[in-house]
This record gives sequence, structure tokens and C-alpha cells, in this order.
Amino acid sequence: MAKKITGPQLIIANRLDDGRAVFLTIAGDWSPEVANAAVAHCEDELQHLLAVAQASEIANHVVSVTAVAADLSGETPSPAHIKFAMQARGPSVRTDLGYQVSPNWEQ
Amino acid sequence: MYAYDTYDHAMVNARVAEFRDQVERRVKGELTEDEFKPLRLMNGLYLQLHAYMLRVAIPYGTLSANQMRTLAHIARKYDKGYSHFTTRQNVQFNWPKLSETPDILQELADVEMHAIQTSGNCIRNVTTDQFAGATADEVADPRPYAELIRQWSTFHPEFSFLPRKFKIAITGAKQDRAAVKWHDIGLVVKENAAGDIGFEVLAGGGMGRTPLIAKPMRDFLPVEDLLSYLEAMLRVYNEQGRRDNKYKARIKILVDAMGIEEYTRQVEAEWEKIRHIPIDVPAAEVARIKSFFAPPPLAVLADEVPDVDDLAQKNFIFKSWLANNTGSHKVPGYVNVTISLKPHGGIPGDASDEQMDLVADLADSYSQSEIRVSHEQNLILPHVARRDLPALWSKLDAAGLGSPNAGLLTDIIACPGLDYCALANTRSIPIAQSITERFDDLKRLMDIGPLKIKISGCINSCGHHHAGHIGILGVDRKGTENYQLLLGGSGAEDASKAEILGPGLDEHGIVDAIEKVVAVYLGEREDGEEFLSAYRRLGADIFKEAVYGTH
Ligand code: SF4
Repeated sequence: MAKKITGPQLIIANRLDDGRAVFLTIAGDWSPEVANAAVAHCEDELQHLLAVAQASEIANHVVSVTAVAADLSGETPSPAHIKFAMQARGPSVRTDLGYQVSPNWEQ
Repeated sequence: MYAYDTYDHAMVNARVAEFRDQVERRVKGELTEDEFKPLRLMNGLYLQLHAYMLRVAIPYGTLSANQMRTLAHIARKYDKGYSHFTTRQNVQFNWPKLSETPDILQELADVEMHAIQTSGNCIRNVTTDQFAGATADEVADPRPYAELIRQWSTFHPEFSFLPRKFKIAITGAKQDRAAVKWHDIGLVVKENAAGDIGFEVLAGGGMGRTPLIAKPMRDFLPVEDLLSYLEAMLRVYNEQGRRDNKYKARIKILVDAMGIEEYTRQVEAEWEKIRHIPIDVPAAEVARIKSFFAPPPLAVLADEVPDVDDLAQKNFIFKSWLANNTGSHKVPGYVNVTISLKPHGGIPGDASDEQMDLVADLADSYSQSEIRVSHEQNLILPHVARRDLPALWSKLDAAGLGSPNAGLLTDIIACPGLDYCALANTRSIPIAQSITERFDDLKRLMDIGPLKIKISGCINSCGHHHAGHIGILGVDRKGTENYQLLLGGSGAEDASKAEILGPGLDEHGIVDAIEKVVAVYLGEREDGEEFLSAYRRLGADIFKEAVYGTH
């Protein structure tokens, strides 16, 4: 059943091979940078993004596709909930090794 | 320590080959995530917030120097140069790639390690006293029995899909350092009047959202009945444990609901039916397993070592380390040494690849090539000659491993929390770091004395907050991090459940609250009275008043 949208939303997932948290972009691909995330403002947009994301999940590029509430109060969108915000930011410890070193970090 | 036989090797290698095939099929898209997820979990591979996490079993917390070197190598080659030792005496890698996991498992198999049964509703790694076989207060080394249980429970066909995960802890010492009363089954090695070894059996303990302390079932179970009795205990649970609600599926809920007397009655009845079929192993096999844990050949040495005393006189840090991080050994002239993985501002339980390599080298030089992992997330060198302590300490200290804080306020247990864990409400590690930064004066820490702080990032309680003298539990408050403060818990032989003191606090408030609680203790304690005793005598109100100012 379609989920009713209560506010702007982003699509988050984990890449299949390394588990890196990634965001669905307007172009329909995945970016590790939340600044590139596509934002759904209404139910139709959300359903469209989810359809793209789920197709990518079926194609085994990502797992754990989830729509999450977006906070648009900053310069770039970010997940509103601390848990998903942490996924966007990376661990707050060992920042010498985490995403903070390079947002496009590849192992 | 136990060495694999050809059957063990074949079994673990076959499992690696099987998982390699499963990963290949997943990457090619021949398996969906729904199909693959239970397979990866059976091999200890979780998907966390930012990456996969591989949990590797360290049987009853015992590692050889070579195994430690392999863990260091894995951290270096496949991860980001560090690993995390857990409250279940296991080790976790935070950043492995899916496609490389089979190679990691093969490297582990080559040194007789694996990740089997580190996830799922099965019998998990048996935990024990980190000083097993190396402590003066021990009736008998519990590790041969832990190994028996490991062999019995590994791939046990009847107990691979229990209502919920199942944890067994065993201790052979009078002082309970394995938190046996907080486990599904707790075993305490005992000697009866005839000099025979057996076990006190407890059941139904556990943390999580319904914290319960295990209740005694039997005062003395002979060694030769151990496995058949455990089989009966698991059978009754497997049949009657709830499968309709995962929060009510642990054995603690069953035992609490039916009462320990009724559970015991049913177990004894089941046991009567099965005790004569060959589940228990012959005495010769027990003796064979015991031989792997024979005490190392340590020549008795003098306990008095002038060099050690001289250095302790001159150097307060060494003196504190000696007092806190070394413990009495069975053999005169030796101690067990706790290597603190809790440096000020550090991450509890984390060790870098260089540190792991160093610990392996030091184990070779000073501790019969043996290492242990404690559930308090520290490493142990179990058999160190007192005369070697100055040299050992200076090498540890130079590598950031010489913190003299074992058992003190800054020896904090903290789960990975929201920095890594997909189930978390809040972060745990930064709270531990803030507390250690606030309490960074060694003289003050020594004055405060033994105090266990334990932090969990959610109610799953991996950080054992229910058993903390001071417990901290992370809760989700409308999408932000909030922390509950609990006081009065114990994981030791005087096990008790910590109680929530009052409303949750933010990340700064919780650290301030710890200061206030400690100040009350320092102001009110009687001569020589430790924090937990003082709390039990004083009650919660005075602490509540200090933290929340209710009047
Ligand atoms: S207690 Fe919760 S947050 Fe901490 S490791 Fe366990 S599941 Fe994760």
C-alpha cells in the first residue's frame, strides 16, 4: 500500500558490495553525498523515486532501500532523523578513517 | 589451547567454500537479498549503517599470538586498520567488503577461527572468565568445559533455529567476572565434598528490554552429566519458548512465566528420558580436551621483585597500573595482566593493527603466546612473570596500551552504538570519550576506586547497562539522542539490576550527571566503601536529588 507522504523525503540505501550508505539522485543513480539526493515533495514524486530505487535493488546494485524524512532547512537536504543523518555523515568517531576523509571514499 | 582436529578443519573449510559460492551467486544476482541475508548472517556478516560488519568468534575469549597476528593482518588488508573487541569476547571488523569476506574467512580458518554462530537464533560463543586458568581464586579452569559445550553446540541440528539467540557463560572462580547470572544459562564450576568437579546451574538470566537475573536450578551437576543436562534444558526451551513475539522469545521470559521450579521439573523429566543415550562424552575425551588446557610450564619464581617495587615507588602511573591491571596468578611469581583498551578519549574495545601485532609479540615474549579477551573489552596476558612487568609496561605504554585504569571509572564498556550499529538509538562511544575526558586525573580516579560504567546505544543492551554500577541507555527522543541514567547494577556474583534514576538527559547532561553522582558518592562514602556498596546503603534518592534537584 502506498505510504502517505507527510513531508519531503529522500531515498537511502546501502551499496551491495561495500554497504556504503548512498542516496538516490535526480539522475536515477546513487551518490554517497547527501547533497546530491533527489527530494520527493509529493506522493507522485516519492512513488517515482521508489520505483527507480527498487529497480536498482532488483538489479542488485543496492540493498535496504528506504524512504526517509528530509530536513531542508540547511543549504543541502539531509535526513531529518539522527539515524539516517549518521548514515549521511559517517561515524562521528575515527573521522581520520571514515567518510570525512573523502566523501566518495572507496575501500 | 584447543587445537582443531582433521574433522574441525574439514568442517570449517567446507563452510568457507560454501559461503564463497553463496557470495558469488549473490553478486551475480542469482540470489536475492532475502535469500542471501540468512546465509550471510549464519557466517557472522551483518549489514550496518555504513558498511558490512563481520563478527568473528573468539572461543571463550582465548586467542593465541598467531591468531591475534591474523586479526591484525585482516584489519590491515581488508579493513581500515583497526578492529573492535566486544562484550561477548568476540571481535568485529567494521568495514569488510562483501566480495572479500570469503577470503577473510579463509584466512581465519587457516588459524582455526571462524564466524559461525555469531549471529542467528542458535547457541552463541560460550563466554568465560578472562583469567581462566590464570587466577588464584579458581576452583578449576572452566575452558575445557566451555570447549566441550562449543563442540556440542556447533551445528547442533536440533538447536540451530531456537526461538531466539542463546548465550551460555561459565566461570570457575569465586569472583564472577563472566556475568554468569546475566546469561540464558550460567554455570559455576564447583568442587563437592568428595573432591569431584561439577557445576552450579542457573537459568533464565538476560538483559534487553526485560532484564532478569538467572535463577539457580541445581547446586551440583556432575561433569559427566553436563551435556545431556544442557540438552534437556535447551529442549524444554526450544519446545516451549515463545516464537510469536521476538521480545518474549528468550528463555528468561519462559522461566519467569512458568517459574524456575516448574522449568526445573520439566528439564529433569526430559533429562531422565535422554540421559542414558550417548550425548555426554566419555571420560577419556574429557581428559583429551583438558590436556589442551594444561597449565603452562611456569617455573615458580619469587613474588618479591625489588625492581618492580622500586619503579612503583618512583612512578605513580606504574604503581597504579600494578594495582589495577595485574591480578594474582595460580603460580607464585606470576600475575595476569589486563591491557586496557580504554585510553583517555579512546574508543572502548578498539585496537589498531599495530597494537594487535604488538600484543601478539608481547604474548610470545612474556605470556606463553596466550592472549585473552575480556567481556569488559580489554585484552589479557594471562601468564606474566612479575619480574617482567617493568619491561612489559613500558612497551605497552609506548604503544598507547598502558592505561592504568582497569576496573576504574574510565574502564567503560560501550557498545558501537549509532556510530556503526543499524539498531541503535544513540551513539555510545562519544559519551564514553566525554566521560574519560572529564575524569582525566589519575589521582582522582584512584581515589574514586572501582566503578563500572556501562553504555548501550539501545535497549538490546550489548553495552550491559543493566549491570553497570552506573548504566547509560540511549533512547530515541523524537529522532534525537537522549540518555537514561541507571544506578546500582552489578554483573558480578552479587548480580543486581540497575534502576533508572529519572528522566533522560542530552549528551552533555548525561556527562554532568555522572559528575554529580560521583560527587555524592565521594561526599557520603564510609571508610573503604566502594561505589556500589555506598549506593546500596544510601538508596537512589540522594543521587536523584543531586542530578535532578527535585527539591
Ligand atoms: S546495544 Fe543496541 S546500539 Fe548497542 S550494539 Fe547492541 S544493538 Fe547496537
